[in-house]
This record gives sequence, C-alpha cells and structure tokens, in this order.
Amino acid sequence: MNVIIIIQMAWRNIWRNKVRSLIIISSVAIGLVAGLFVLSLYKGILEDRVRTVIDREVSHLQVHHVRFKEDFDPKYVIPGKDELIEHLHHLPTVKVFTSRTVAQGMLATGTGSSAIQLVGVDPEQENQVSGLNAKLKDGKGFSNGKKNQLLIGKKLADKMHLKVGSKAILTFIDKESNIVSGAFRVAGIYQTDNTPMDERIAFVKQDDLRLYLSLDGEVHEIAILLQKDGDVEDVQAALKSKYPELKIESWKEISPETKLMIETTDQYSLIFIIIIMLALSFGIVNTMLMAVLERSREIGMLLALGMNRVKIFSMILTETVFLTITGVPTGVFATWVIVKIYHRHGLDISALGGQAMSEFGFSSMIYPAFPWEKILSQMLIVLMAALLSSLIPAIKAIGLRPVEALQK
Amino acid sequence: MKTVIDAHNIKKIYNPETVPVVAVNNVHLHLERGEFTALVGPSGSGKTTLLNLIGGLDKPDNGSVIINGVDITRLSANKLIDFRLHNIGFVFQSFNLIPVLSARENVELIMQLQHVKKAEINVRVTSLFRQIGLEDKMDVRPAQLSGGQQQRIAVARALASRPQFILADEPTANLDTKSADNLLDIMAKLNKEENMTFIFSTHDQRVIERARRVVTLVDGQIHTDSSPVSVHADYPVTA
Repeated sequence: MNVIIIIQMAWRNIWRNKVRSLIIISSVAIGLVAGLFVLSLYKGILEDRVRTVIDREVSHLQVHHVRFKEDFDPKYVIPGKDELIEHLHHLPTVKVFTSRTVAQGMLATGTGSSAIQLVGVDPEQENQVSGLNAKLKDGKGFSNGKKNQLLIGKKLADKMHLKVGSKAILTFIDKESNIVSGAFRVAGIYQTDNTPMDERIAFVKQDDLRLYLSLDGEVHEIAILLQKDGDVEDVQAALKSKYPELKIESWKEISPETKLMIETTDQYSLIFIIIIMLALSFGIVNTMLMAVLERSREIGMLLALGMNRVKIFSMILTETVFLTITGVPTGVFATWVIVKIYHRHGLDISALGGQAMSEFGFSSMIYPAFPWEKILSQMLIVLMAALLSSLIPAIKAIGLRPVEALQK
Repeated sequence: MKTVIDAHNIKKIYNPETVPVVAVNNVHLHLERGEFTALVGPSGSGKTTLLNLIGGLDKPDNGSVIINGVDITRLSANKLIDFRLHNIGFVFQSFNLIPVLSARENVELIMQLQHVKKAEINVRVTSLFRQIGLEDKMDVRPAQLSGGQQQRIAVARALASRPQFILADEPTANLDTKSADNLLDIMAKLNKEENMTFIFSTHDQRVIERARRVVTLVDGQIHTDSSPVSVHADYPVTA
C-alpha cells in the first residue's frame, strides 16, 4: 500500500511545476535523440561500408593459392580450380562467383607512371559479383570483340590525365618472371566511395591479361558471393576442410579495417553517449535539487508526521524515474521519425568532409539505420543516469531535519 | 490518571559553540491523559522549542522526555520517526497539508503509513470528516479550501493516527475569528468526548481561555503553571 502512496505522490509532485518537469522530460528526450541518432549514423555508415566491402569490393569469400598474396607472383595460380568451380556451382549457399587474374604492374602515359594492381575479369561474371558496370562514371566499359580495353578509377584517371579513349602502357611480370608490356585503351572510368581503390585497381579482360601473363586458363583469385551474410563462417569452414591446400579468406580477414571498425564502433558510441548522459545528469541534479529545496518544509512535515527516510528517498527517486520514463518514449519516437526521414533521403555530408570520408572508403551520403538492437540498453543507460543523478537530491531530502525544515 | 508526557529537567541550547542561546532551561513538565494545555509566553520564550522537544522533532541537550513510558531522547532518528507516526499528532501553524493530495488523501496518508487496512481507513476517514464537519470537502485539494477548513483537515490528519496526544503549534494564528472559534470547538469536543490530550503553544487569548491548564514560559523556564484565570492575573499574554 505504501508503494502506491509513493507512486501517487511522486507522479503528482512532478506536475506541480509543469514547466520544470517538461524541461527535464525534454532534456531526457533530446539526450536520447542525440545518443540514438549517433548510433543510427554509426549503424548506417557501418552497414553501408559492410555492404560496399561485400557487394562491391571483396565479396563474402576469396580463394587464392596459399602463397599468392605474399608478393602477388603470377605463378601462384589456384591449383585444381576447375574442380573448385564445379563444386561452387553445386553449393546452394553460393549465390554467384567469379574468377580473376591478378598482376602487379605499372601504368605509364606520356605524363608519368603509377603503380597499379591489374585485375583480369570476366566482364559478365564480374558485373554480377561486384557490380562493375554500376561503378562506371564515364565510357561504356568492356565491349565484345575488342582487345586490350582498360577500366581505371577516376582518381587514377585524374592523376594520369587519362580520358576514355586514351592509351596507356601497362607493364608487368609474367608467369616466367619476364617483363611484359602492352598498350591498352581506356574504355571506361569508374568511381567508388573508396578513393584509394580507385587509384590502385585497374580492370582488363581476363583473356587479354592471361595472354600477357602466359597463363593457360589459370586464375589467381575466385571471389564468392553467398546467399546470406550469416553463411560466411560455415561455408568458409566447409571449403577449408575440402580444400586445405587453398587459402580461403572471409571479407573480415581480407578487410580487417572494416572488422575493426565494427568492433570499435560500439566503444566510440558508448563514449559519446556517456558525454551526453553526463550533460543530462547535471540538468537532472540541478532541477531535482531545486524541487527538493522548494519542498523542504513539506518534506520536513512528512518526516515529522512519521514518513520514514526510505520512503522520502524512494519518492524522490520515483519522481525522477517518472520524468525519465516520460521522456524516453518521446525521445525514441522522435529518433525513429528522424531516422526514417534520413534513411529514405540520405544525409549528405559531402560539405562536411566528404572527401575525407571517401579517402577512407566511406560514402559521403549516409543512410542512418534505427538501432533497434540497442534501444533497450540505451533506455537502461538513460534510466541509470537519471537514477544516479537523483541520488544527490534524494540524499539532500533525507538529510533534512524536520525541526529546521518546518521553519523554512 | 494516566501519564502521557513526563519531561524531566530538559534543556536546549542553540549555537553552543558560537553564541549560546538557552531556549529551554531545566524544564519539568508532566501531562496526563485528557489534558487541554496551553503553553504561553512572549516570542522567544521557548514555547515552540519545548513543543518540538516533547514531539521528538528535536533532541534536548540535557534531560529526558518520557512518552507513554518510552524515553524518546534515547531513540535513534529512524525509531523516533516511527514513534511519532504511532504516538504523536501534529497540527502546524500554517496547516502544512500536502498540496498534491486531496483532503481525504491527506488524512488517509498517516493511516496508510501505519499499514491500516483499507476498510478501516474508510470508516475512520468518514468518521473524522464528520467530526470536523467537512464531509462535503473530502475530495477537494487544500488550495481550494479556506484556512480554517485546512486547519480542520490538519486536526483530522493528526487524529487519524490515534495518537497519545496532539501537539498544536499556534493552530489559530493564521485563522480569522470565526474559523479559530470553530477549530477550538472541534478540539474541545474531541478533548471532552474522546479524552484526547491537546497541548498548544499559543499567543491567542481565545485558546488560553479555553485551556484547562496554562503553562507560562519566560526565558525558557516555566514561570507559572496554573488555571487560565490566574494566568491572566499574573501574566497577561498578548501577541
């Protein structure tokens, strides 16, 4: 029964000064909006980055010769690739895959040269796996029947003053360690959110590159896209078991910076949220202290009549909880609406360092994603911050001496 | 007659370290059940301090206050709160009702704190509001009541806990004549019919005239302890 009295009194007390209570409720809501929106941005950036890594850059899994990635020597082709390809065709978890031929080399023009990684692709398969055509900003891309066509990134094109139709000399080492060169014509210029990749990777047709590398149908890399992201570990383990002589890596191993980002984002966002909560806590302490000081006489009277200190303490804490739980749904709903809008239209931060974002492989257009999985923890953090903040006013209240408080 | 309050040699000094002020000085006071006693004296004579010491709101620097056989000066702060809840009723000068609770809820609060059953609370609340003549104001908030009505609610709240006695600090100070008379009528009736013990601190001549015992304090000491008639003769009390 006493719990009901405390709840009843606490609820009515918070509406004694509506403006003050609305300020606290708004502070809680705004604090939560700030915290959740930051999480939404992080989630949106991360999801976008992960999708880019998987769908545009490295796929779910990549297969290489165990020694190929040590120095990208073209002689380290995938052994038994036909059997592997046949196996992949029959795996229901595999959505699509493509094979690539890779060489390290130099691109030279009349104005200079630049180190590149040359990737020989099957245009049709590559488009299915990494959406190569969708990245094209200029030119039509590879055409059937035409030889020595080259796709380069915009960054490299700008650096080397290359345009669609320009010629460039590619020099690299073949399977027998001979230096070979060939003249290629730019058939397209692509652009991704990953500027370093745009500067470093150039695409040619696989058949053209094989010719220069003296390869006979052999490949260096097989990129595999799976039906579901969650299948990566299982499929990787199964392939490793079946092909122990091959190096089979997941996107997290190939792009460790993305994995690190996923792992550290929670920590960064927690720091940000703690800062917000600290600001919120000061507001709550200040307002609740004011509320307690204004009601000193009344609290003194309650102590005089026989309401014990535990009940007084609980009443102050309950008032804070009420203010918080009124503000929390408001904050969650407001964030959901804001995120919904920005998720649909995107948040363009190109004016706020979009170039810098691109340098690190991120899009300057962010599509925030509402962090449903973190709502409960965020609400608990806000509630804990509010409760901790109300400890000072509550301790102040129970420290009052009735004889003194009644004279105020 | 049953002894309700037995204060022995109590002394209270404020600011003992800096500028000591002796508020109550070696006071002996013995009250029995059913008394209707007024503490009178000029401002600063120690009336309110004595009332606070008897009510367990403050602790004396010396002496003891025995209520119903319990020396309340030896109780811990928490036990003292519980003791007050079950043994002492308070009526304050400025009513001190809780503004967010209705008149009924203000009265119920004490009984709820005492864990009285809901059915019994209802019976007692109805009876108390009938006694104070405010049955039609039970669901009204204090702000919508006059000063006199609020003080009657405060008396009902004090009675609700079925205390050993009621301490009233200047209960009529903020009331007009009619309201003060009305309140005194109610308290006198409760004293007469239910043998409830009342102790007032007051400047109000009407209260003094109604009291059956008047204790006059001067400079923290009992100056006279007698019937109202002799008080008027010895020590004319004015606000």
